Amino acid sequence: MSWKPEVDEINQRRELALKQGGEAGIARQHEKGRLTIRERIDELVDKGSFDEIGKGAGASERGSNGELIDFTPANFVVGFAEIEGRRVIVGGEDFTLKGGSPSPAGLRKSVYTEDLALQYKLPLVRLHEGAGGSVGGSGGPSMPGPVFQPSRFKSVAQTLGTVPVASAALGAVAGLPAGRLVSSHFSVMSKSTAQILVAGPAVVERAMGEKLTKDELGGAQVHTRNGTVDNGAEDERAALAQIRAFLSYLPDNVWSLAPVTACDDPADRMDEALLDIVPRERRRAFDMRRLVNLIVDQNSFFEMGKGYGRSQITGLARMQGQTVGVWANDGRHLAGSMTADGARKAERFIKLCETFHLPMIAFVDEPGFMIGSKAEKEATIRHGARTVLTTALTNIPWASIMVRRSFGVAQAAHYGPEAYTLAWPSAESGPLPVEGGVAVAFHREIAAAEDPDAKRRELEEQLAARQSPFPRGEALAVHELIDPRETRPMLCRWIDRVQPGLDRLLGPSAFPYTP
Amino acid sequence: MATHTIELETGGSVWKVLVKAGDTVSEGQELFILEVMKMEVPYTSPASGTVKEVSLAEGDVVEEDQVAAVIEG
Repeated sequence: MSWKPEVDEINQRRELALKQGGEAGIARQHEKGRLTIRERIDELVDKGSFDEIGKGAGASERGSNGELIDFTPANFVVGFAEIEGRRVIVGGEDFTLKGGSPSPAGLRKSVYTEDLALQYKLPLVRLHEGAGGSVGGSGGPSMPGPVFQPSRFKSVAQTLGTVPVASAALGAVAGLPAGRLVSSHFSVMSKSTAQILVAGPAVVERAMGEKLTKDELGGAQVHTRNGTVDNGAEDERAALAQIRAFLSYLPDNVWSLAPVTACDDPADRMDEALLDIVPRERRRAFDMRRLVNLIVDQNSFFEMGKGYGRSQITGLARMQGQTVGVWANDGRHLAGSMTADGARKAERFIKLCETFHLPMIAFVDEPGFMIGSKAEKEATIRHGARTVLTTALTNIPWASIMVRRSFGVAQAAHYGPEAYTLAWPSAESGPLPVEGGVAVAFHREIAAAEDPDAKRRELEEQLAARQSPFPRGEALAVHELIDPRETRPMLCRWIDRVQPGLDRLLGPSAFPYTP
Repeated sequence: MATHTIELETGGSVWKVLVKAGDTVSEGQELFILEVMKMEVPYTSPASGTVKEVSLAEGDVVEEDQVAAVIEG
């Protein structure tokens, strides 16, 4: 007698697993404009590459003769897959079953996701939609875990120092899935379908008396602006496209280097627009994103965190096909000053680059830490100092371009150890911008003048002239004063010089990456 | 014909308003300039067309996300 009956049952279970929460559950998901977890995975990965693990995990119901009546799959789907031909681990809750709140087998698969990424040292993608535990417990009464059980969060923490982790919020994400969502190097939320909540409206109303909808509590207008997620996307498909883009810049793990892609943008391209992109009028703001895009490989800039800490611009790009981190100031937003949230955003970004050995290019237009009562209340100096010290301990190569202002303690965050430093003719630097400094340092002289306003302006002009970049060039305080149009050719030569040394940085970074 | 709504990226005060409703503008032309933290922040037209509306006056104190102008082009 063969094993045919068991094989038939295995096949029957596999078919039932693909039914997820059943036709009605899937129809409800689609009615709300959302994809199922299996459709999400198909949309994310290379066609036909999903290689599932634990499809047979779940719960079965048997008849009186021991025959299989029904099989309910675990409500977490996980497996290997490929994105642009590179292997990854991908997993996510199945909302059509129990609203994604973990079933016993679902919880096991969910916990196993990070272990798999660590074991195989592969990038991890988590697609979240679901709530955390329920007071009813996951699947009835069970024994609590033993004291010797490893911490649930240890592997989550370890992945962040080992492999790239990207996550997406695609529906309502609460509790544990929300915690895992943000425990990533890059997170994106679908603006049309996702909310992120520590606790949902019913719990909030009972505890706090606040009556708010899911969207008011944790929609994209809240969380793309406070740093909870890095980016927003119009819908689920756009969110998944961002994850593919993000991963394309990163290595598989900390023991390998980011892939270098073919580049048809000439290394010696000198864009004429750079000559006058910084206005001669010192107070006139300019478009830093345009500047960045004119210098890095064409169409390679992928911005992260545009909606918060907005005086700082962070993102990944390529120079001659080599991934680089790009950090720049946005003078259009609070003069480009370092705010508390801008400092936190920059710090996390610096750690991303350090963790994955990505050279950093800083385009500096930093007037200093944000000032005023709001800034003091936000503990700007503590967050700012942490960013400055994080930079000081990095090992990655830095190239810092003094585009315009470079002032105070805050400017130090933009120059890593042994940074290759180039200054544009528009560069100004010093302990503080003349506008503020003159009023303080020369207050008696100004007060005694017949026309104090005119005196102040005269002193400002005199001091601004003294901040000319030429003395810095003479003192070798910068590697070179350059024509702004030369920036790309010089940075391409720099990348060519630092690339051979990147493999010496391989391995875990000295400081941990935390959310 | 598309309608472009220009929302403010930051709060601040309105330093100069350079166009008015009915004006013809070209893409990249400066529409108004805010003053934010002593920096002059120009806003330019995203398209060539006609100014349908400008809801700022010089000296106004403005807030992030406020609709500042509408361009049809």
